[in-house]
Amino acid sequence: MDGVAQLQKQLVDYTASLFQEGFLDEQFNQLQQLQDESNPDFVVEVVSLFFEDSERLLNELAKALEQKTIDFRKVDAHVHQFKGSSSSIGAQRVQKVCIAFRNYCEEQNIEGCLKCLQQVKHEYSLVKSKLETLFKIEKQLIAAGGSIPT
Amino acid sequence: MEYLHSDVAVHTQQREKLQHFHVLAVDDSLIERKLLERLLRESSCKVTCVDSGDKALEYLGLLDSQEIDRSTASSSSPQSSTQEGLKAVNLIMTDYSMPGMSGYDLLKRVKGSLWKDIPVVVMSSENVPSRISMCMEEGAEEFLLKPVQLSDLKKQLQPHLLKLPVHPKIDITTSNDNGNDSMIIDITMNNNQNVVVSKRKTMTPEPLERRPQMKGLAVI
Repeated sequence: MDGVAQLQKQLVDYTASLFQEGFLDEQFNQLQQLQDESNPDFVVEVVSLFFEDSERLLNELAKALEQKTIDFRKVDAHVHQFKGSSSSIGAQRVQKVCIAFRNYCEEQNIEGCLKCLQQVKHEYSLVKSKLETLFKIEKQLIAAGGSIPT
Repeated sequence: MEYLHSDVAVHTQQREKLQHFHVLAVDDSLIERKLLERLLRESSCKVTCVDSGDKALEYLGLLDSQEIDRSTASSSSPQSSTQEGLKAVNLIMTDYSMPGMSGYDLLKRVKGSLWKDIPVVVMSSENVPSRISMCMEEGAEEFLLKPVQLSDLKKQLQPHLLKLPVHPKIDITTSNDNGNDSMIIDITMNNNQNVVVSKRKTMTPEPLERRPQMKGLAVI
């Protein structure tokens, strides 16, 4: 198998695994469909925004949960944003943790919230590294003269 | 041949109409705005994005301060109509949950203003029936669940496109298996607003592939 074909297979297989393992869902497909010759970096751009936004939100969440008196409405507002952005890019596992997180906020359950913060940090770092790997393979494929299979 | 021309004319008119179709998108999330803008551009609309209800009102000239200016100005009417003319907005799409002014508040303000005839679509990541009925009762055109997809938008935009000054006739062509014969089914409204369906054969047998069909939104 030549270089390009090998990379293409690698890309297809890796992407499939991300879907199978639940890291990504259908919404990620929607993003990919919006990428074309006039918008060649659309997916990377949106995902980069997601990374920046997520890091900000995780910091805010950590700060809010460190307070002596926790403002659960504030915590919930941040989680709501995080849930929205993860849903928009198809980061399914992050989104699922956010749903549980919001329930704990509603119950004003500090233990539950702290647990979810750890979980969401973990899921976020997983999906971040997976997506970075995905983009790396894409870059290699393009550098080898191939194109991203649709 | 007559049908060929009218179908192509409708397609072209739709595309042209869309190019002047201006959507004001309101969402506090940068990611959502980027997505929505891309989806709307994909549907050939013009888009303006703002990050809050206040900015939307400002854009529409509806901020209290702007309204006061207009009412105290001596020649207020021509000025305001020019303003509105320059910023013609055909559709507003707004997120529901925003800090400060919510999408619902924005909807209320718009519906109580000179812009009340502009359709307002509310979007939300949460499927809350009471929220949905509240917005619909306040005059929302539609309530969309996020994440919004291209197919949702196509459905949204289609009725606005169909308000074209063309004879309201839809040609649906069907063919038998032997290919050469084709039927045209005409669906028209008669004077009594009754739907009349009639079938006839095409004048000249043509392969169906060459006939552009009016399917609604043409995505370029």
